[in-house]
Amino acid sequence: MTPFFVDWILIPVAKVLIVFGIVAAAVAVLTWIERRFLGFFQSRLGPNRVGPIGILQPLADGVKLLLKEDLIPFKASKFLFVAAPVFSIVPAFAGAAIIAFSTPWETEKKTIPLVVADVNIGILFLLAISSLGVYGIILGGLSSGSKFPLFGSLRSASQMLSYEVPLTLSILSVILLAGSFKLSEIVTAQQNMHVYFIFPCIIGFVVYLISAIAETNRLPFDLPEAESELTAGFHTEYSGMRFAFFFLAEYANIILVSMIASALFLGGYDIPFLNDSLIGESHPNLLAILGLFSYAIKCAIFIYFYIWIRTTFPRYRYDHLLKIGWIILLPLSLLNLFIIAGIKLLAS
Amino acid sequence: MVNRMKKNPFRMIFFSELIKGLLITLRWFFKGKITEIYPDTKPVLPYRSKGRLHVDIETCISCKLCENACPEYCIKVIPPPKEIFKTDKRPAEFYISLEHCIHCGLCVDPCPTGSIHHSMEFELADYSDKNFIYDKETLPYNLIVKQYGKGGK
Repeated sequence: MTPFFVDWILIPVAKVLIVFGIVAAAVAVLTWIERRFLGFFQSRLGPNRVGPIGILQPLADGVKLLLKEDLIPFKASKFLFVAAPVFSIVPAFAGAAIIAFSTPWETEKKTIPLVVADVNIGILFLLAISSLGVYGIILGGLSSGSKFPLFGSLRSASQMLSYEVPLTLSILSVILLAGSFKLSEIVTAQQNMHVYFIFPCIIGFVVYLISAIAETNRLPFDLPEAESELTAGFHTEYSGMRFAFFFLAEYANIILVSMIASALFLGGYDIPFLNDSLIGESHPNLLAILGLFSYAIKCAIFIYFYIWIRTTFPRYRYDHLLKIGWIILLPLSLLNLFIIAGIKLLAS
Repeated sequence: MVNRMKKNPFRMIFFSELIKGLLITLRWFFKGKITEIYPDTKPVLPYRSKGRLHVDIETCISCKLCENACPEYCIKVIPPPKEIFKTDKRPAEFYISLEHCIHCGLCVDPCPTGSIHHSMEFELADYSDKNFIYDKETLPYNLIVKQYGKGGK
């Protein structure tokens, strides 16, 4: 066990596996949580038959989807049709690489940052890779050789284009305040300033929330898969495991968006009114463990919020959707950026 | 949307209508659920539910009024031989075919002794059609009525 092996192979691979496992498990549980919570919102119980309170429902769904017949339509262009779900799911999981889950883990020999790749262009990487996720949807629609997926993917293309702009601008205001693209440094900046960025960037926060819903193709902005007009939108022709990939990608995106939101606006793994001096020397990694829980709770709040939004609002009409994006959210995010720039100028 | 913005900018800026909607759904989230988890908790049936027909063989006088009243011809009463009938009017055989029974209750009305009536038993599914024809032996009257209660009153 040379230090090189440990530093560059063992620890990174372990981190990747753990983060992938956590996200995959969270996605599986989220599919169940969402159906169950939707039930609660609609005065039903949701899936509750498989296992205690229905917790094994994702397992049953997975087995069902695995055993389903794998159909490729006659008119589909085969290579792209097969590749599209992969294009969709890889960016969704890859985005979790830059998430800083907690404060660095300290062992006797070294400190291990609890993040797969703490790159200094973290947010830029995330925005780039979430744009790649659009390709999965567009390719899936175009290669199906059917009219509903085609329209779904066309809608998704323009929707994602228009909502990427306010999303990026609202994130930019946070970056302006923190002065860094690194997620861990953004969290540290919030700790040092003793304020969560939700307070100065409240407009940006609202803009981020709304455009994140559009980015993840969820109700009320799920135009690419509007059931009433397009059967199932871009994944109409997909079945079995390929459909499951799209499905998992959607939920992985929700988790990713929630993790980003809680890191940027709610201080990530920071715990309010708690720091090293309060905890003392009782346990070297106590703060890291508590930080993990704090981060998980903040993400859970966002995820709950997205399920709540989904059950409350009806789907927007398509021209309304684009109008909200360009006429309301874009000026709002620009306004937010100006306000933050002014604050930054006055502070310096 | 634009019209509403002109009318009341406050509503539009602070999402007041959206928040109102969110609070409504949040209230439903914490309310009691109306779903009944059926096999685990049995439903409380209405007082006059018409479940499976039951015959109290001990009080039946083999008058065949129920057999004649039945619109689906699903009841068959076979009285005992004449010598026995003089003293003991209980039927020799009593068949009810639940395959044909429509739970209309027309057989219950004319019964002079009130020995045929509905019960609260409603779980009638079975694997074989033979099991739908009830006779004297397979009508465990007291047991079933004790378990499910009288219905269709």
